Amino acid sequence: MASSIKATLFKDPASTESTRNILKVVILLVIAAVSVASRLFSVIRFESIIHEFDPWFNFRASKYLVKNGFFDFWNWFDDRTWYPLGRVTGGTLYPGLMVTSGAIWHFLRMISLPVDIRNICVLLAPGFSGLTAFATYLFTAEMKDSSAGLLAAAFMGIAPGYISRSVAGSYDNEAIAIFLLMFTFYLWIKAAKLGSAMWGGLCALFYFYMVSAWGGYVFITNLIPLHVFVLILMGRYSGRIYVAYSSWYALGTLASMQIPFVGFLPIRTSEHMAALGIFGLIQLVAFVDYLRGQVPSKHFNTLLRAIVVLIAVVSFVGLVTLTVTGVIAPWSGRFYSLWDTGYAKIHIPIIASVSEHQPTAWPSFFFDLNFLIWLFPAGVYLCFRQLRDEHVFIIVYAVMSSYFAGVMVRLMLTLTPVVCVAAAMAVSSILDTYLEIESPEEAAEESDSKKSKKTKEAAASGSNTGGFLSSKAPFIGIYSFTSKAAVVASFSVYLVMFVLHCTWVTSNAYSSPSVVLASRMPDGSQHIIDDFREAYYWLRKNTPYDAKIASWWDYGYQIGGMADRTTLVDNNTWNNTHIATVGKAMASSEEVSYEILRKHEVDYVLVIFGGLLGYSGDDINKFLWMVRIAEGVWPSEVQERKFFTSRGEYKIDHDATDTMKNSLMYKMSYYKYASMFPPGQATDRVRGAKLPQEGPQIHTIEEAFTTENWIVRIYKVKDLDQFGRDHFAAMAFESGKKRAGKKAGMAGRAGGKKGRRLVRA
Amino acid sequence: MRLLNLLAACASLLSVTAAQKNANKYQTFADLAASSKGSKGSIILNDQLFAEVTVPPRNYTTVVLFTALDQRFGCVLCREFQPEFDLLASSWHQDHPKSDGLLIGVLDFTVGKATFQRLGMSTAPILMLFPPTTTGSASEQMPLKYDFNPNDPQPADALARWISQNSKHAVAIHRPFNYVKLFSFVAGIIGVATLSRLAYPYLAPALYSRNLWAALSLVAVLLFTSGHMFNHIRKVPYVVQGRNGGVSYIAGGFSNQFGLETQIVAVVYAVLAFSSIALCLKMPRIENSGKQKIAVMAWNLVLLVLFSFLMSIFKMKNGSYPFFLPPLIA
Repeated sequence: MASSIKATLFKDPASTESTRNILKVVILLVIAAVSVASRLFSVIRFESIIHEFDPWFNFRASKYLVKNGFFDFWNWFDDRTWYPLGRVTGGTLYPGLMVTSGAIWHFLRMISLPVDIRNICVLLAPGFSGLTAFATYLFTAEMKDSSAGLLAAAFMGIAPGYISRSVAGSYDNEAIAIFLLMFTFYLWIKAAKLGSAMWGGLCALFYFYMVSAWGGYVFITNLIPLHVFVLILMGRYSGRIYVAYSSWYALGTLASMQIPFVGFLPIRTSEHMAALGIFGLIQLVAFVDYLRGQVPSKHFNTLLRAIVVLIAVVSFVGLVTLTVTGVIAPWSGRFYSLWDTGYAKIHIPIIASVSEHQPTAWPSFFFDLNFLIWLFPAGVYLCFRQLRDEHVFIIVYAVMSSYFAGVMVRLMLTLTPVVCVAAAMAVSSILDTYLEIESPEEAAEESDSKKSKKTKEAAASGSNTGGFLSSKAPFIGIYSFTSKAAVVASFSVYLVMFVLHCTWVTSNAYSSPSVVLASRMPDGSQHIIDDFREAYYWLRKNTPYDAKIASWWDYGYQIGGMADRTTLVDNNTWNNTHIATVGKAMASSEEVSYEILRKHEVDYVLVIFGGLLGYSGDDINKFLWMVRIAEGVWPSEVQERKFFTSRGEYKIDHDATDTMKNSLMYKMSYYKYASMFPPGQATDRVRGAKLPQEGPQIHTIEEAFTTENWIVRIYKVKDLDQFGRDHFAAMAFESGKKRAGKKAGMAGRAGGKKGRRLVRA
Repeated sequence: MRLLNLLAACASLLSVTAAQKNANKYQTFADLAASSKGSKGSIILNDQLFAEVTVPPRNYTTVVLFTALDQRFGCVLCREFQPEFDLLASSWHQDHPKSDGLLIGVLDFTVGKATFQRLGMSTAPILMLFPPTTTGSASEQMPLKYDFNPNDPQPADALARWISQNSKHAVAIHRPFNYVKLFSFVAGIIGVATLSRLAYPYLAPALYSRNLWAALSLVAVLLFTSGHMFNHIRKVPYVVQGRNGGVSYIAGGFSNQFGLETQIVAVVYAVLAFSSIALCLKMPRIENSGKQKIAVMAWNLVLLVLFSFLMSIFKMKNGSYPFFLPPLIA
């Protein structure tokens, strides 16, 4: 914005070149500083801490990397997760993130700045957001000019849609992936514009970096071929595109196959077939193009066209056959569910269960993008006006990513960059028009020389656009200063409001570490709820190093990272059956669960319970997913219906079904909960339900630890009874003895029976 | 006619001794299954046949579907389930032409009113499995009842699993390859190809029209960014009847929306986008300065009012949102 003002103030562009360059650098630095600063709310409010779930694994892996070196990391077999299966971690992760922070750590040590790896991990995402802003600047400058680029960089720096995944502490793959996405796209545009194999090679290099960093690389793998395909359909094939695409595809694919987790996927799965198919197509088109230049015979061309169509059909049929026979894997469930939106819910509940895989309601779009969301279509329209090759890219990107963002909340992340770019083009066009200080003179019949020149220019540009809507008439300019001022003023207000909105959203919605919760006391002071860390440190300090902890998979990474104990399942949901096993243990009665827990040598079971505090993300609310996933594997033993009352309600109070009341999850959540309240007053604050006075009884496990606000409850799985009884008998005996306390020892047995009856009643 | 013959056959069987009777009874029903005039392998039962087939002692397993296919009863689930059940029966018959100890039958309400009454059934469909009797104790004669899951994409497979779990018979489902679908697909492709070849001269200008593609892309972008996919996936209502008789257009809550609401939002987005386009492309092309001034002010005002309206709807959805724009303050 500032540079465009400058550009109009200094009439001669050549003489102000260096001033403008300095200004651009200063503005970009300021944008980078702002984008880093706005991501630091959580560090300032809480502390330098890793957030949420997945980052804890990335953090643990980074620690492993800097401790054991790269090659050990590459071959890392982790026996402390997925007990007893273990996980070939080195071969099943995207190493880009950890390697990046490891490299930064080594570099800082080299220049004698020994920074803790944790601080590097916490601050990696904000640091990279500055780079993302820069990449967005470069990308947009290719689309319009550098003033639009600066606006786009500023939008990108503070847009909540991107901040949501890149605040300090959110040490996840997306932290560096969005920078790589934008930079790869920039390099691709550059390569396609110049037809240069060097830029194509650079694009492949950054594509490789992207593949190593995030599974979302498939978006690039499909978007670039789609761009090329659309260009070919539009009859815009050229040698430049051929060179750019061929060099990108050949080098990029070979490079991406070096990542163990990717391996042969680029030639074996349907997600990558579009890129391969377009690679084949562009060779054919190039061949035909070459021959057409050599042999101008009309008949020959017809023959050639027939051959091309034949080859295309044959290769398509071949592709379908290979897919049907299973040589090429069909679309994996996660990608397939993007197209067939009902698929995941029926077939892969584990994907449907994740909250970030839900569809996006419109307020989320507005929340994450504010006024950019309505400038976005305007920017796309402006792309249609000039419709250069790179504008086609924006259009394709815009349509595809807005579909994906609509289907999955999480993919808002890939939409945000293109929204910022398109909106910046729109705002910049408006400001270009209305910030022009010089006003045109009113058109008289005989126009003066200046105007006729302008008209001629405009007419020339008009013919370029092929008589496109709303740009047929010659460009004149804005006459009145008032209208300029009004438009500029209102857009300034919108821009200021955008900044306020972004700051508010970042501060209120995206800066919570979710490991530490904050609430307000009645006097307005902040109260920190630190139950998670309390529980995890309890585990770390009070359990043996090789203790196995069973919990729902959401908490696997946190237990591994914070408590450093072995887990059964974690957020890397690679084995559905194992997760279903844990789900079954939680959803079954104690007799069944105890068998499962013993077989997996589980020492402790951990549940999250929000009933006391009103923390709604607890296990009882997630319970139905556990049931569903378990039902998918053992349909006869776990049935979702049995957890609903006869009226089809999911209840935890008096009306709860017997299956619900007997499930391990229910028992662990509500054990002794009623004792917190005066008689008859026990309420669950999440579900707003009165609980029965008589709480559940537990036999095969015992309460080991409950945190201050009851959010985390840890139970110890009892060892086998010393006398070989089952735990129900043993408990009955114990309670019977207490009942018969003062009687002689021989009454114990009878008392035991009595106790058993009492327990079972 | 055949049914009468069979009834006669059944009646004649009564005179034979018990053990023989058991074996013969099974044989009759197995033949009945093989020659069934309905779906292959499924026996069409009536009150009498049902009583016959389920009377102890039995040395075979019987699966009976109690249904009400007649339009009068309006049982959608019955009609939906029937082809799947027939598939199960024919699959079993294909693998086991002699039934091999598992009989599969259908009892429709129109011919089995008495049985429905006797068993106290007031709903349909109901599916029961009668296990073989070995001792004749009462508990063993209790049939097992199958729970229908309406959301099951392939009910026959689920039922086959259930039968396999509850009896010694492993039932495999053979879904016939859908040739009709394949042929219609191929024919469709050929048809579309021919049609496009023929219509190409007329369609080409539209196909290469930039305005058409611009309109399509913008409509797609507006649809998706206004939450259309959410409506599609969650099947939200269009509008909801409000508490005091009125109609509420705007859903309460941040992650909830109604159909009409998203359309309003899409239109607001579209008008806002169009105003910005008008401001940057159309306005500087107006030759008359007075006209231009009025138009610029008008579009600027439209922009302001609609953006303010958008902010106020958003504030309605998210009560704690602190910002607003002047004209409309929610």
